[in-house]
Amino acid sequence: MIRRLLREPLLQFLLIGTGLFLVYEAIDGGRLEAPREIVISEARIEALAENFASVWMRPPTAVELKGLIDDYVAEEVYYREAIAMGLDQDDTVIRRRLRQKMEFISENVADSVEPIEAELQDFLVQNAGKFARPAELSFRQVYLSAERRGDTVRADAERLLAELQAGRGPADPAEAGDTTLLPATMEVASPQQIASAFGEEFARQVDETPVGQWSGPIESTFGVHLVRVDERVAADAPMLVEIRPIVLREWQAEHRRRQNESFLAALRGKYEVRVEGPAAELLAVRDAGSAVR
Amino acid sequence: MKLEARRDRGILALAVVGALLVVAHASRAQTPDVPVRGVVEDTEEVHIPVPAGQPSAQAQAYSPYAGRKYPTRVLWGDTHLHSANSGDAFTTGNRFTPEQTYRIARGEEVISATGLPARLSRPLDFVVLSDHAEGLGLITQVYEGNPALMGDSTIQRWSRMIKAGGTEASSAVTELIGAQATNTLPTVLTDPKVAGPLMMSVWQRAAVMADKYNEPGKFTTLIGFEWTPTPGGDNLHRNVLLRDGQARASQVFPFSSWNSEDPEKLWAWMEAYEQRTGGRALAIPHNGNLSNGRMYAAQAFDGSAITKDYAERRQRWEPVQEIVQMKGASESHPKLSPSDEFLEYGIAGWELGNLTLGGKLTPEMMPTSYVRAGFMRGLEHEAKLGVNPFKSGIIGSSDAHNALPFVEEDNFFGKFPGQEPRADRWKDRSSTGEGEGGAARYTWQYLAAGYAAVWATENTREAVFDAMKRRETYGTSGTRMTVRFFGGYDYTPEDAQSRYMAEVGYSKGVPMGGDLKPAAAGKAPTFLVAAMKDPQGANLDRIQIVKGWLDASGTAQEKVYDVVWSDDRKPGQDGKLPPVGDTVDVARATYANTIGTAELATVWKDPDFKPGQRAFYYARVIEIPTPRWTAYDQVRFGVKMSADVPMKQQERAWTSPIWYSPSI
Repeated sequence: MIRRLLREPLLQFLLIGTGLFLVYEAIDGGRLEAPREIVISEARIEALAENFASVWMRPPTAVELKGLIDDYVAEEVYYREAIAMGLDQDDTVIRRRLRQKMEFISENVADSVEPIEAELQDFLVQNAGKFARPAELSFRQVYLSAERRGDTVRADAERLLAELQAGRGPADPAEAGDTTLLPATMEVASPQQIASAFGEEFARQVDETPVGQWSGPIESTFGVHLVRVDERVAADAPMLVEIRPIVLREWQAEHRRRQNESFLAALRGKYEVRVEGPAAELLAVRDAGSAVR
Repeated sequence: MKLEARRDRGILALAVVGALLVVAHASRAQTPDVPVRGVVEDTEEVHIPVPAGQPSAQAQAYSPYAGRKYPTRVLWGDTHLHSANSGDAFTTGNRFTPEQTYRIARGEEVISATGLPARLSRPLDFVVLSDHAEGLGLITQVYEGNPALMGDSTIQRWSRMIKAGGTEASSAVTELIGAQATNTLPTVLTDPKVAGPLMMSVWQRAAVMADKYNEPGKFTTLIGFEWTPTPGGDNLHRNVLLRDGQARASQVFPFSSWNSEDPEKLWAWMEAYEQRTGGRALAIPHNGNLSNGRMYAAQAFDGSAITKDYAERRQRWEPVQEIVQMKGASESHPKLSPSDEFLEYGIAGWELGNLTLGGKLTPEMMPTSYVRAGFMRGLEHEAKLGVNPFKSGIIGSSDAHNALPFVEEDNFFGKFPGQEPRADRWKDRSSTGEGEGGAARYTWQYLAAGYAAVWATENTREAVFDAMKRRETYGTSGTRMTVRFFGGYDYTPEDAQSRYMAEVGYSKGVPMGGDLKPAAAGKAPTFLVAAMKDPQGANLDRIQIVKGWLDASGTAQEKVYDVVWSDDRKPGQDGKLPPVGDTVDVARATYANTIGTAELATVWKDPDFKPGQRAFYYARVIEIPTPRWTAYDQVRFGVKMSADVPMKQQERAWTSPIWYSPSI
């Protein structure tokens, strides 16, 4: 349970954050900057110099470094004064940028989490429908064109079906049907593959056909078909070891989504939101909706 | 006050964690040898299981089914799709990551950029994410205000405009495309030292994601990018596809038009890729219709006459080309082929000029702008050089920039987020600029098109790529009809009645994309051609064979033959087949399959064949008229569009040609 909790990314996030905060405090020994003090640490200076070097391919000279520091001080002064004056408050660009930074943090925390096997196993079981292998069919079919045969197509189909069921049809049953580009056989085909060739209606009907005997007639958008399902590989739930990369991929996608949601929900929980005017109703509905979810 | 400071520190600490994780992530992405399952390591030449010529009599007699590993199921895909990693997609509102884009192509429902639930009618079998190599992913860095780029005042301004959204954002995009076309992009964007590492990590992450979503047998993701040179507004774009997984793709950096706008330089990059990684690459040119005569020009990029060496390399690296997409059809122009009555489709608006409308399309440019004309120029070059530079197969694709490759008329989400369903979208002026005399393009002129159909032996990266290399492909305007097309000398009318037409087709000749052998004395080429309607779509009107040939004077000629059609129609005295009819009810946006037919098949023998004349033949299959997306919009939004907006059309497929050359 504790292990599980520890793997909760939001908790991880908070723990790491708190940890770093404490470490920082310990090292810094409470040497907090006074509100009107600007400290340019050696680390900051190094960063400024490095940034310069990455652009100009050489370290800054002493004069240039002084310029960089002056510029940084100016930036810091402006920044603090601007915040104090509330200039950040109504600036869409700043608000969006900050929001994006928060989303970025959330996304990257989610990405960095690797599930343990038991979690993947649980995810596979809970989402069995998503990972199930659909039933696959191997079948033969004889096609009768309604367009070419007109009114007799049903009767033709019934007659041919009786022959095939009695074992009296041609050696190659397809010879009894009409010419078509539709495949005479499909082997171990998924419902999606069958639908792609014959259309959804046919795929649904052939799935309900008994194994080992000629059946039909069933209809498609092309015409009328007699079918013989030779094999039905039942739908099954694959083991984790068989499809681990796919389960992992789906777990990560789901995890990322949930992580982003819960991160926002946790932060949002700190606030009471009050909407004024007629739109208040809209929010009430939305909140009810999210509570249900 | 102290507490305040403490809280700030706490937040700072959180930010530090975030930053560390970001760095950790980025460094992970830059490691090229992340082991990923499903990466194919073999580079052996793949043996094409299709019989190349006629099997020996003995083989036929003893084992009629032994060679039966030819492609039995056509695969549907899009080789031209953009995620948020493309600058122009992102700036116009596309926020779909590569991962989300793959999910959309697999058929999952999403909420579109403009807030509409959106889903493909049927999943695709394969997809290529072809994000622009130019500034790949960089625009997100511009948007996010990456300090490495913000030193440039133009980029700062663009960043602000994009964030402002709306018209400001689209102006930024127009500026950006313009700057690219005129080589005036801020240098920091094209500086490999600054932009390189950023783009490399975007490319590598996208490649890792492609591997994650590649499921052999079910859904194929090919790694690729779009090379986007637009000199003077002329479209020379190519999509580059790799046969390989991220282990190879990550070793290289996509080639962009910032490196060079010369196609020969792109081919050199592809060759270097193959040598360095042992992988394979191909390129797909598109939108000759917007190239103002440059796509099939007789000159190389530097203006020199094309050579045999150029022809060989172009044929090798560009085995297929895109004939249709949302920005119009490139088959031919009514002025080029006046006797062809099916060329109105996808012409309006796109014929005005090049991509940016920076130059008018003149009649002199047409013979080197369109695909069919390109095939004809290819014969002319072949006669002189011994090699055909434009021997390229055919596919279609979408070029959707909103990550929604939806090209069915009743489910069209436009090319850009700004063109997603909306009552008045049809009359918006396109942002591609304005030409002379106020020439402009409008949203209604965009096509809900197209798809790539590939006769691959299985649904894998390798098989899809190899099918494109042998040009066994066709393109459609968005319909998923099945088309078979074979050429040889021995097809007989009964072959079109065979229950095993594909087997007959492969055993007695070559499939689409192939070469006919020289004709024996007294023999003329025969073609086995068959088509079957989309299971969810409209009936078929007719199959045509388009022939181009070089006449005795060395001039290329063209002719369209109706070879098989529905409803027992008889050609009139002028030799023209009467129209199939029209069941479209524009007021309700419906049609009925009471005309046309579900399947057509025939064997056609060229009645005008001359053994000494080189030629090409491709099949075009035409559906009965159906409502256009504009008609669905009128019904769903209760609007009335102006009289010049077409409300119906005939969807179609074009196969790769089969070529005949007396010298082969």
